[in-house]
Amino acid sequence: MRPFADDAELARRFTQGDISAFAELVRKYQDRIYNLCRYMLQDSDDARDAAQEALLKAYGKIKEFRADAALYSWLYRIAVNTCLDYKKKARPDQLEDESLLSDVASSDPSPERLYQSKELSDILQTALQKLPEEMRAALVLRKIEELSYEEIAEVLHISVGTVKSRISRARDDLRRLLRGKF
Amino acid sequence: MKCSEVKELISRYVDDDLGPDEREAFTLHVRDCAGCRTELGEIQALDTLFASAERFTAPPGFATRVLAHLGEQQRSTFWSFLAFHRTLFRAAELVLALVVFVIGVVSGNVLMTGRTSEKQMVLANVQTSFSLDLFQATPPGSVGGAYVSLVGAADER
Repeated sequence: MRPFADDAELARRFTQGDISAFAELVRKYQDRIYNLCRYMLQDSDDARDAAQEALLKAYGKIKEFRADAALYSWLYRIAVNTCLDYKKKARPDQLEDESLLSDVASSDPSPERLYQSKELSDILQTALQKLPEEMRAALVLRKIEELSYEEIAEVLHISVGTVKSRISRARDDLRRLLRGKF
Repeated sequence: MKCSEVKELISRYVDDDLGPDEREAFTLHVRDCAGCRTELGEIQALDTLFASAERFTAPPGFATRVLAHLGEQQRSTFWSFLAFHRTLFRAAELVLALVVFVIGVVSGNVLMTGRTSEKQMVLANVQTSFSLDLFQATPPGSVGGAYVSLVGAADER
């Protein structure tokens, strides 16, 4: 997904403390921020809480936002940092190991089985949770949010070289985790 | 190009980030190396997995909740401000009370030392209370007063 063209105007009003601009911003970005949080945290309640927290933080930080910067980049950074800081609620039924991966992947022995997108998401998310958070963030921003290396560097506040290295390592780890599972 | 070098480039290759020379060397190696080809295939399959994975949307009422919390956040910010400054307000009140007290004591002393004697103070109070000009049988300026002064002067001689 590409950033919207009219973000500049929204950003300008937002920096002036215009609450209606913030309401528009929430409606515009809620799905993308929530989606990002889902892939970072997996659990839907955690994702909802983190996404809400991120948007409220964004409002609190209006004064720090420079209107000439990319609004989505700034929002994503707050969202990623919120997820990195997020203390997950303890859930007794959450599986710690790869058994969930094998359960989902082997429920139908047929190799031609076509997975529903939800199942694929479950498999992917479970595997993503096993990656170190910084690597997960870089890969999710690249493959889910479809940002460029430069945009990811901007969001995560790291060099482009570090972005490439994290994505490469994340892919390698994911590949090993999912080998033979689908 | 060696396998170890190629494996480092797989991620950038699938992201179309290799320069022309690198890409050519990469594809030449992969064409002839089963191991690297397998690994490339796995990374490409991952990309397919990402492409077909679900894109989540915010739950119903999410935006409304955020905006409602914004209202609460603003109110609690106000109350936090007040709570913090309440202690300052109390301290200021105490200081003010102290100042008023000191001023009262100081001005009270000044008022007290303004009277020449206690007796005159009492007299003055009584006169004021009754609006009388008594305790002087022959007030100065009266006929009696003039007589007294004539007689008194004679008596004292």
